[in-house]
Amino acid sequence: MGKVKIGLLQFFSITILFELGTSLVVNLGMAAGRDAWLSILIGSLAGLLMFSGYAYLYRKHPDLTFIGYTRKLLGKTAGTPVALLYIILYMNLSGRGLRDGSTMLAMASMHNTPLFILSMLMILSSSYVLHKGTEVLTRTSLVFTTIVLMIGLFSMILLILSGSINLQHLMPVLENGLWPVMDSVVHQNYMFPFGEMIVFTMLMPYLSDVRKGPWVIAAAMLVSALLLSATIALNISVLGADIAKRSQLPLMPTISKISISDFIQRVDIFVVMVLIIGVFFKMSVFFSAALIGISELFNLPYRRMLYPCTLIILFTSMLDARSFTEHLDEGGRLLYTVYPVFMIVIPVILIIITAVRSYFSAPRPG
Amino acid sequence: MKKSSFSLVLLIAIQLVIPLVLAGCWDSVELNRRAIVSGVAIDRGEGEAEKYVLSFQVIVADEISGENTRGISPVALYTGKGHTMFEALANASRQTARFLSLGHIRVLVISEKVAQEGIKDMMDVLERESDTRLTSLMFISKGQQAREIMSTMTVFSKIPANDLVEKLDTTSKQFGYNYRMEVDDVIRGIQLRGGGPVINGVIIDGSREGADTNDNMKTIAPHAVIKVTELAAFKDDRLKGWLKGNTALGTALLHNKIKGYPAVIRYPGSGFIAFNVYQSQLEVRVKAADPEHPVFIVKISQQVSIKESPNSLDLTSPETLQNLSPLLIEDTATKIRAAIETAKKYKSDYIGFGQVMERKNPQGWKKVRDHWEDVFAACEFRIEADAVIRHTDIRSNSFQINP
Repeated sequence: MGKVKIGLLQFFSITILFELGTSLVVNLGMAAGRDAWLSILIGSLAGLLMFSGYAYLYRKHPDLTFIGYTRKLLGKTAGTPVALLYIILYMNLSGRGLRDGSTMLAMASMHNTPLFILSMLMILSSSYVLHKGTEVLTRTSLVFTTIVLMIGLFSMILLILSGSINLQHLMPVLENGLWPVMDSVVHQNYMFPFGEMIVFTMLMPYLSDVRKGPWVIAAAMLVSALLLSATIALNISVLGADIAKRSQLPLMPTISKISISDFIQRVDIFVVMVLIIGVFFKMSVFFSAALIGISELFNLPYRRMLYPCTLIILFTSMLDARSFTEHLDEGGRLLYTVYPVFMIVIPVILIIITAVRSYFSAPRPG
Repeated sequence: MKKSSFSLVLLIAIQLVIPLVLAGCWDSVELNRRAIVSGVAIDRGEGEAEKYVLSFQVIVADEISGENTRGISPVALYTGKGHTMFEALANASRQTARFLSLGHIRVLVISEKVAQEGIKDMMDVLERESDTRLTSLMFISKGQQAREIMSTMTVFSKIPANDLVEKLDTTSKQFGYNYRMEVDDVIRGIQLRGGGPVINGVIIDGSREGADTNDNMKTIAPHAVIKVTELAAFKDDRLKGWLKGNTALGTALLHNKIKGYPAVIRYPGSGFIAFNVYQSQLEVRVKAADPEHPVFIVKISQQVSIKESPNSLDLTSPETLQNLSPLLIEDTATKIRAAIETAKKYKSDYIGFGQVMERKNPQGWKKVRDHWEDVFAACEFRIEADAVIRHTDIRSNSFQINP
């Protein structure tokens, strides 16, 4: 480990793309109705708190991945099964991301293409990049972050100019009090997409700067939280809370409302672009985390397990659910039942063990 | 070298597979296999099996901008019938030589009959289908078949649907009460509690005879002209009545969608004076401490200029203008009052006072939302209007003042 180092800017951009990923186009946090933007902000605060825990673990073990220090802290017998579970989790999340992306692509523009073909093309491109290595993925993200942000800026300006934004759709704020918002946070927003930052514990040993690294990632989380919140607020203010809630990809109708003198129209293909880029990076980060984990756990070369994993992820995504509705329902339940165990409970145990150990080993005289 | 022969086989296999991908998108429909639909008319057919009669106005691209035009009609109308909208669309494909491309629909015209029976069932597909878009404009054809609107030749644009869109834009800037109503506006309108959407009306003025051929434009005065007309007021998804004149203007003012309109007042002893109202800013406030008896305060401020004053008024004196303002204010208040009275008469809050109430007092709104139409019909309105006459255009006094 630790031969390849990845710069801070690259980490910043991959964090942004990972966070925006699918969440930018789906109706994130819409359980909170027109206060969805608020629930994302609160969710991101919870996410930052969780990330500070991961950052603590990283500072204490700067050269080890999550799997590395799990096995070190829990011991080989208890640590290995836990590490294995994490690899399964990452592959599963990658598959779920792939299913999200391919289905939404099919819904948005490619109505007659079989899901399998879409999924296969997406996962193949991802495995090609990972074949070149994680640092290639992060450098690619730098290019695509620029593209996504440019598209965002462009769409924002056009939406303002076409006069479709009606901020009154956002009023009244907190109509039913804070509870529905917190409910949405607890059920979704602290986990998706912010809790998923656990995956970065696998990548952080590559950070070129131990001291600044976690801060940069946290800053990227904050920036993406603001972007997400602004996007959701934009969707609601253009479409109204109800239409946004019922849309599978609310960004698409929002952007399609752009019409400048009947000349600049139908820019919604940008949303499809953002969707493909986002899904690609979300999926690839999980994928690479799983690969790093496997190569470390079983002492295999990184590339040997690439294509088997590709197949596993591809079939996970296909066999995951019969319909998209089922897929979303399943995901919704996983978010507050299974994922908290991996993203909060186990890391907290590790933090406690690390803290206790360093407390007892710290006062070393001399 | 076992490994390299394996790589070679893999390479060949990949090279055989990749071209499949390169062949292009699975879903692609080439441009010469597409027919762009510019407008859709939705009529009520006979019985359940033919509930929806959809007429697609399809652009004949060669006629619009081709080198070898045949001198035929620039658009063609194809009709499909079915239980549902989607079935009717699929049904129309039996007549069309190309795939109907729904991405560029400018105009959706619904016949009055469909509107009276309710439009909520047909709105679902417009929202759900990813090819159609929310920026299409909606119209109700008043007293006529919607397909007649879609099959009338127009002078200024070769494509009648575009012509209708342009007519709406011009009238909304000059005459006032018609404004852009897009698909999502209508959906949000249907969702208004105790209210409904307001949709522009459209009619064919003149005789149908030869309206769908080039003959229509051969005379200086076209036989038939597509005309944007009164506003259709809805309760939920059903057409309740048509708004025109003061009522329609007041409704558009209350929606804050007015760009400009001519205001004509009778000045005692001097005949009529016409103003151009070029800016109106309206704000609705509510005192909703008692949700069952809210008091709405409509505040409106307008800027106008004098366009016509054929009389002996001394327009060089500021006092004259100050005396004219109250008349104008009264005129605006009358319009708004007429709009509110009509909405109360239809028991439909298509203006959206309920939303104002919801923003002000969300808890109180929950108590009254289910019987909002009754509360609305009984609640009190106060109108605070203000108008400033900014200038008298490029003359001061009329030449009639000193003969």
